[in-house]
Amino acid sequence: MNIEQNLQKAEQLLTVWNKEATHPEANRLDVSISAGNLRPAVTALHNAHWGYLSAITGLDLGPASGEMEALYHFCNGAAITTLRIRLPRTHDASLPTIEDIIPPATFFERELHEMLGFKIKGAKSSDRLFIPDDWPEDVYPLRSDFSVEQAKPVEGRHANELPDEGVVGGNTFVVPIGPQHPALKEPGHFEFTVDGEIVTAARMRLGYAHRGIEKAAESRNWIQNLYLFERICGICSHTHSLAYSLGVEQLAKVEVTARAQAIRELVAGLERIHSHLLWLGVAAHEAGFDTLFMYSWRDRETVMNLLEQITGNRVNYSANVLGGVKCDIGLEQATAVKDGLNYLETRIRHYLEVVTTDTMFLNRTRGVGTISYVEAEEFGLLGPTARASGLVRDVRVEAPYGAYKHFPISAVTETNGDLEARCVVRLNELLVSCFAIRTILDNLPEGPLTVKMPRKIPAGETISRVEAPRGELFYYIKSSGGENPARVHIRTPSLCNWVSVLEKAVGRQLADAPMLIAGMDPCFSCNDRMITTVDQNGSRQSWSWKELRAYGIEYYKK
Amino acid sequence: MNALTSLLSLLIFPAGLTLIVFGMFYEWIDRKLIARFQNRVGPRWFQPFADTVKLLAKEQIIPSVANPFLFFGLPMVAVTGALTAAVYVPLIGFAPVSSFPGDLIVTIYLLSLLTLCIGLAGWNTSSRFSLIGATRALTQLFAYEAPFLLALLGPALAAGSWQISSINDYARNHWFAISQPVGFIVALIGLMGKLELPPFDAPEAETEIVAGALTEYSGRGLAMFKIGKSIELIVGITLVSAFYLGGLHGVLPFLVKTLAVLFLMAILQSLLTRLRIDQTVGMWWRFGSILVLAQILLTILLKGDLL
Repeated sequence: MNIEQNLQKAEQLLTVWNKEATHPEANRLDVSISAGNLRPAVTALHNAHWGYLSAITGLDLGPASGEMEALYHFCNGAAITTLRIRLPRTHDASLPTIEDIIPPATFFERELHEMLGFKIKGAKSSDRLFIPDDWPEDVYPLRSDFSVEQAKPVEGRHANELPDEGVVGGNTFVVPIGPQHPALKEPGHFEFTVDGEIVTAARMRLGYAHRGIEKAAESRNWIQNLYLFERICGICSHTHSLAYSLGVEQLAKVEVTARAQAIRELVAGLERIHSHLLWLGVAAHEAGFDTLFMYSWRDRETVMNLLEQITGNRVNYSANVLGGVKCDIGLEQATAVKDGLNYLETRIRHYLEVVTTDTMFLNRTRGVGTISYVEAEEFGLLGPTARASGLVRDVRVEAPYGAYKHFPISAVTETNGDLEARCVVRLNELLVSCFAIRTILDNLPEGPLTVKMPRKIPAGETISRVEAPRGELFYYIKSSGGENPARVHIRTPSLCNWVSVLEKAVGRQLADAPMLIAGMDPCFSCNDRMITTVDQNGSRQSWSWKELRAYGIEYYKK
Repeated sequence: MNALTSLLSLLIFPAGLTLIVFGMFYEWIDRKLIARFQNRVGPRWFQPFADTVKLLAKEQIIPSVANPFLFFGLPMVAVTGALTAAVYVPLIGFAPVSSFPGDLIVTIYLLSLLTLCIGLAGWNTSSRFSLIGATRALTQLFAYEAPFLLALLGPALAAGSWQISSINDYARNHWFAISQPVGFIVALIGLMGKLELPPFDAPEAETEIVAGALTEYSGRGLAMFKIGKSIELIVGITLVSAFYLGGLHGVLPFLVKTLAVLFLMAILQSLLTRLRIDQTVGMWWRFGSILVLAQILLTILLKGDLL
């Protein structure tokens, strides 16, 4: 089915509840419904297998209009249907929960509640996921009239109220993993209730290092934001800036040159290689196979050096600018990349052999955390985690963007859905990426690197999706015609994949839990980016960006 | 005079201080070899010494729930056990300091004392990570202990003695690694289990339970346990190479043979992925024990024939 047919079908499915339907862009359908009709509408889309729930965006339209909006984005290939619900901007703006229909929605709904103050009726868990436990009630950081002074910690509460200390009863007790733990170098918190060695319950908590990026974006101009979003994640910084640039370019109706697009895809391919090799090392380390860990990270240096040679940076490459790229590929770089790829391809083939034949490693991966196709769909998994279960969720294939239209890639899938399959999918993907990079190098289109971008972006809203190494990265960008964006909402792939860990850890050995966490390639910097809180000398406080900047300048003067 | 010599041989050479230095040196070789296998630079030669000195100088923090007597006592018992075990083995190729018929069994049990102490220490500190680590350490003990003992019994049966020194002498003309290959492999892997080296490092799997049973230990206590482990490393290697590699007589054969065993162990450590605790137990009881039992049966039968 092509995009138009898909959108027509969605419109038919939703006619009963449809208050007003528009087509803001060729691939989008925007349907306004009332809050009461949300559940039947979602059920209709879900039962008809019309795509998957990709994100829920909350919008505060400001005290002047007195309204808020919740946007439920469903993606089906390149087609996107948005259910738009408008509610009064009061404390009882409530939405019915859809987590029983679509399990991963629980994360989106909690974000919606904690950040914007939508009440979610019928939600199972009222724990806070992102904001600290001593954050005052009824203060919502993404509301447009939020000020830092409101966020004084509540007296007598801790930032992190953990149901504490050990024994639950009998042989059962809680093993905390994180926020500081050797298995997780990043600040997430998991509680595994174990009975002996068997995990009987799993819980998680995020938000230990929130940076308030979505909020910060509203007070920066379009160009500054590019560098801000690039710093959401050190591993997939290019995909973040790519998603943002693509979105802004769509809004400004600017077409980037073919050469710039090709270079963007090339850098994205190299980034995928670096990210997946990094993941392979982490997974091997979690399994206790440090030799593989050391070797894969050694080989990752090759691709890091290539990225440095092309862009000048090893981590936040800043290859993108609005309207193009800022680094060109010359003959020298092209040769270096090809040489590097020759080496990497032999190594990747070798690792592929290791992860499929090493008996001891297979002991820890084969048949562990198996997710069937049906479950993958139900959990709303994305990226390699979904593809390992045979579910093709790859924006590059489903909805090609940029250079992927001219240099298409094939989706790599496996059917077993266990940790072994996830290793194999990721490594095979690298071979595909290597091939794609070579094709681009051999057929690099001529042309300028950048086109002119306006300073002010025309009013409107757009959705930009790109395939990050971990899965679909979703950007919702709204402009009111000014120099700053009105709202940027980011839904990162890690957020969707958590369900797979929590569901699959239960009933398995504790020893498998770190492997399961690693198996979805979690990225905490992806998740922690919403509030301005800083830990300093043990006393937690919220800082405004201005104070933070002043502190930074003062700090480096010493 | 005689008492003074025994005391010197116990405290300074070949047991005691020399042993500790040797143990740390072997620990360094192990770490360095693994590092090179993993394409890393690895530590410098004095790293284990520096670590120990640093730990000994550091503050020791006692968890409020722990019994202080046990908390301080267990590391000492562990080191004492390991040091006592060293008395009965032919260290550095010299005849054992002390020897009596049946000292093989005593030595093996003294070597298990360290694991028992670690288990108790984990239970005593009552952190969740230590509890799981302690449970795993003790579970694993039951898995490898019997096969390891049986693997050492093979040469003992062949030599017709339960005394380490006489088995060592008998082994001079009998390379049991060739005549009882299964026993040698089981002994080698059993030793890795005893030392909680990869792939048997589930009791201290850092990605799950931080440092396992010793999570709450710091300063002197931790240093003592580490010293105990390096002593056990060298005593264990000595025992296995004395039994299976043609006995240890003289400094040079000792160095060559024990380092060869260490080299083999380092290769295995870098090649193998950590086993889950259920996999460890399963492996030992399903394969280790049965294979080594078959080997012993064969030894007994052949020996009967020869007699």
